[in-house]
Amino acid sequence: MAITGEIRGDRKPPRFKVTSLEVLCFVLVLALVFQSGLVRMLDVPALRTGSTVFVAICVQALPFLVIGVLISGAIAAFVPASVLRRLLPSSSALAVPVAGVAGVALPGCECASVPVARRLMQQGVAPAVALTFLLAAPAVNPIVLVATAVAFNDAPMMVVARFAGSLLTAVVMGWLWIRFGKLEWIASRALERLPEHDGTSRWAVFMESARHDLVDAGGFLVLGGLFAAAFKVLVPVSWMETIGGQVVLGVLVMGLLAVVLALCSEADAFVAVAFSALPLLPRLVFLVVGPAVDVKLIALQAGAFGRAFAFRFAPVTFVVAVLCAVLAGVVLL
Amino acid sequence: MRRETQNILLILLGGALLKISFSGLYLRYVQKGFLPLLVTAGTVMVLLAGFSIYRDVRGARVPSHSHSTRSTWLMLLPVLAVFLISPPALGVDVVNSGTDTNRTSSSSNGFAALPGGDVVPLTLTDFVTRTAWDSSGTLDGRTVRLTGFLARSSGHTYVARLAISCCAADARPLKVHLVGDVPALPDEQWVEVTGRVIPGSASKENSYVPSFTVSSVNPVSAPLEPYES
Repeated sequence: MAITGEIRGDRKPPRFKVTSLEVLCFVLVLALVFQSGLVRMLDVPALRTGSTVFVAICVQALPFLVIGVLISGAIAAFVPASVLRRLLPSSSALAVPVAGVAGVALPGCECASVPVARRLMQQGVAPAVALTFLLAAPAVNPIVLVATAVAFNDAPMMVVARFAGSLLTAVVMGWLWIRFGKLEWIASRALERLPEHDGTSRWAVFMESARHDLVDAGGFLVLGGLFAAAFKVLVPVSWMETIGGQVVLGVLVMGLLAVVLALCSEADAFVAVAFSALPLLPRLVFLVVGPAVDVKLIALQAGAFGRAFAFRFAPVTFVVAVLCAVLAGVVLL
Repeated sequence: MRRETQNILLILLGGALLKISFSGLYLRYVQKGFLPLLVTAGTVMVLLAGFSIYRDVRGARVPSHSHSTRSTWLMLLPVLAVFLISPPALGVDVVNSGTDTNRTSSSSNGFAALPGGDVVPLTLTDFVTRTAWDSSGTLDGRTVRLTGFLARSSGHTYVARLAISCCAADARPLKVHLVGDVPALPDEQWVEVTGRVIPGSASKENSYVPSFTVSSVNPVSAPLEPYES
């Protein structure tokens, strides 16, 4: 605007435009001015408990998210997708389980794995393989498994069951895509090739991708914390105790809860462990469904691959994830 | 949202993590083992944002394919919560509303003998676990000292505390019923109580809440670490 303005030679005074920066300053000033009012408003038992739980969930989950985005940034910068493509078997049916296991080595949170999967498709990797990676990477990587082990330190088999259930979900979805999937469901923009090198240094790519992922995912993490805190305060524990005995109901409720809460896979184990009134199986379903399908993931997928894709992929993933989790739980727990 | 705003939000959020780490307030929200993770995460956030600002100022801007990310605004909420409200540690509200009081499990390799001395200091977790599961009577006839806060409900007075394994979201209430003279102190006042357990008072029917004959109750200031782990 400024440049074209100078070329044309008309010197209108720059118009004041409200950007997010001004909005942020305004909100901060407003919050400072009304601080005492805010504190008084929150001085109700339920809100006090809720705000503490909210901050607690954010504080404990953020370090895990930071580790995740650093690794995903490093992969974006230092591991070209072409290397991964060369490592994959040429037959898609064989490449699907390989991609599932590759999720172990290429960790990230689910928010980060959506762009990685799209990049893989753009580099010519078969969609089924990229989708398996998309589902596996956020669920079976070491950071998530360590977080699960820390949270469930009294039930070590939970880690094994989570790994098995999630890997199975990813591989089954990959094979289902080979059999039934149609390329036209995926928006054409997701399959366009992008120029690989744009002259920026690798370190800059690393820092920028990590920052971008963090900004993208941070808000959803906070949203998850809000939901979880509200849930903790609003739903009486006795209600969870009543479904405690009914495993089928527990499995369905926890599966739907995982979709609605949309927690980051690096933090969901800490939330699942808090549902201490429930047996392990429904909580395992929560951990397997969460990284595979949740509201923020559906939104991210619709953005990356198009709505036609997301509205077919998400419901099928939900059913497959619940079944795989129950299978893994029955065998392993 | 503009890059500049995103970077400011990142610095604020990283700063909030560093603030609670260095002030010790993080102990209200997470276990003490989290300190190195919190400091690292806070530093990384500030560095990432700082690097991005540095590049913007130098004009070497990455071609940004930024789509509208309205969710990023939510990152302001924990910042405001930490800097302005600084939510307190969980307390009486959780103890009184929780139905999962005194959930402990029997230790598989038995209970160690208590140390000698007139008064044995014990954590509430240890005390409650022993009253519920230890049939060998290591507590009988021993005077113990417990640290917790006072909680009153339906005419009874308890000394209570919360235990966490990771963060405040998984807090488990622990409480012990006080019998005898308890001075008129307000709820949520931290106290050290000395006394003896009434043998056999913890049962499945009262959800393993033991009764405790009080010999003294001393108000103390709130500990740095509000939760047991």
